[in-house]
Amino acid sequence: MSDANTQQFEGTVFDIGYQRYTGPREGRWRARYAVYKDGVRNALGLGRSARAKILPWLFIGVLVAIALIMALVAGATQRFIGPDAPEQLGLPSHSDYYGIASILIFVFAAIGAPELLCPDRRNGTINLYLVRPLTGSDYVIARWAAFFTVMTFVAWVPQLVLLIGLVMGGSDSVAYIREHWLDIPHLLLSGMAIAAYATTLAMFVASFTTRRAYASVFLIGLFVITTPFTTGLAMELAEDVEGTAGQWVSMFNLSNIPVHVNDLIFGEVSEITSVAPAGEFPAWLLIGWYFLWTIVPGGLLWARYRKLTP
Amino acid sequence: MQEPVTQATEALLTAKSLSKHYKDVVALDNVNLGITEGITGILGENGAGKSTVIKIFLGLLQPTSGSATVLGENVSENVHVRARLGYMPEHDCLPTNVSAAEFLTHMAEVSGLPPSRARTRAADTLRHAGLFEERYRAMGGYSTGMKQRVKLAQALVHDPVMVFLDEPTAGLDPAGREDMLDLVRKTHREFGISVLFSSHLMSDVERTCDRIVLLQGGHVIQSGDVEHFTSETATVFIEVDANRDRLVEALERRGVVVTSDGHGLAVEGPDESVYDLLRDALVEAEAPLRRLAPRRRALTELFERDGDDFSAGGVG
Repeated sequence: MSDANTQQFEGTVFDIGYQRYTGPREGRWRARYAVYKDGVRNALGLGRSARAKILPWLFIGVLVAIALIMALVAGATQRFIGPDAPEQLGLPSHSDYYGIASILIFVFAAIGAPELLCPDRRNGTINLYLVRPLTGSDYVIARWAAFFTVMTFVAWVPQLVLLIGLVMGGSDSVAYIREHWLDIPHLLLSGMAIAAYATTLAMFVASFTTRRAYASVFLIGLFVITTPFTTGLAMELAEDVEGTAGQWVSMFNLSNIPVHVNDLIFGEVSEITSVAPAGEFPAWLLIGWYFLWTIVPGGLLWARYRKLTP
Repeated sequence: MQEPVTQATEALLTAKSLSKHYKDVVALDNVNLGITEGITGILGENGAGKSTVIKIFLGLLQPTSGSATVLGENVSENVHVRARLGYMPEHDCLPTNVSAAEFLTHMAEVSGLPPSRARTRAADTLRHAGLFEERYRAMGGYSTGMKQRVKLAQALVHDPVMVFLDEPTAGLDPAGREDMLDLVRKTHREFGISVLFSSHLMSDVERTCDRIVLLQGGHVIQSGDVEHFTSETATVFIEVDANRDRLVEALERRGVVVTSDGHGLAVEGPDESVYDLLRDALVEAEAPLRRLAPRRRALTELFERDGDDFSAGGVG
């Protein structure tokens, strides 16, 4: 029997039915930002299953590990041999990082970029985007910006880890920063250059297929297989044939194109491009070649999606 | 429950002399339409121009000539008006690796809603669509019926003024089809959202829509209220328990056309006097009357008269 002092309360759940939405509608900018945010989440596997996170974070981990090893070696050399030893021994630093890691960065782009474009067309979700306050241009620019953000993050984080390692590894951190402060804007600019190039080329290729695997395999082939092929052929031509044939073949080494720009930004030739005949070309040609390989695929990518809506 | 929205007479969608040509193929030819609040069905065989009309109204296609306005705006010139429209495509459009709740939240944001409101709307809309319990499961594991519900929910999540449903019952079993048609009716009658319902299943349209537009070969053949097309006819349906043959003879003697219609008889008279003739014939034949009712026209009959091929393949 219940206590006389205990009161019993009965709750009732009311179904208030369908409620009209009377809140703010933020239009096209909100729509673009939503597509951008979704793109960043997709590329990094955020809010997705554990399986979707494995590949992007594995690549980021390996890229950071390379930077960490470079910092540890430089730090140990400074401590045990002398403060100027890393430079005297020619140990790789910021200007060399993208040359060493470019293939990994491009493979990351080859795997990540199709994730942002292919499933929307394969599943038909693109039709749901384009009937909302969003044009084909809005959609593809938001997706490009999302992957560019991710690629910039992927390019910058290891360089920043390397910078922290070099600053902390030496005996005089303040002196290191005073001598090498220009590395900071250089690495930021160079990171953006490699990110813009990889993003544009990878998304352009991904726009031709609805299957992620096809796009990824094609891109890996493009970046990885062209490297030894063009390097070998270019060096032979440069030695045996007069003229600039060797240099031009070397220009088609797609993974070197942004590394040449990296060299120009840092003002020193990195390990990987020091043997590339294309490096003998003038700076304006190398920069023009980089922009050609970035702007033309970017323009074509935009044109392909722009025509989806009148 | 919310009050049904008052019927307004001004058109939400207007097409004036609308034509769409694909090289030599004429998809739409000089179509004039005015679609007001309520549930409007667009009926037609494959290739009649249903999807073309919907795509032009959604701004996905540019008409070759003529104009199409949505809520008074040209949708291809003003993308903002699309924030007040919803679209449920016929084909698959759902990603498989995300949950319905997450997908609807994202779609609400793409329609312009702030994230916090988008989350609330997504949960509410899924509850109304009957998917509240399953909302955190990845959609790859959903049944066809559940996927159709999510497709409808994503079209409603931003509370549009008008929603375009392209074959919403496609691929559903009879029970799923009934549920979907209930949801479509609820969309207008309880939620107050007008519906443009494209289908080739006449029975779906007859049971769900207030008005119909019949398209054939890119032309509007007929349009108007469903009630008008299913109105009473001069034919009377009659069933008797006995003396059926004597009754037929008695009716024919009075100059009435009688045809067999299942268990009963369809009696076609010139006007209201057919009831007097029937009464006299029943008395004469001593036939005990079980049922007598004016016969209603079905949409299928209308199309049998107006479109031979269409009725053959399209009756659901």
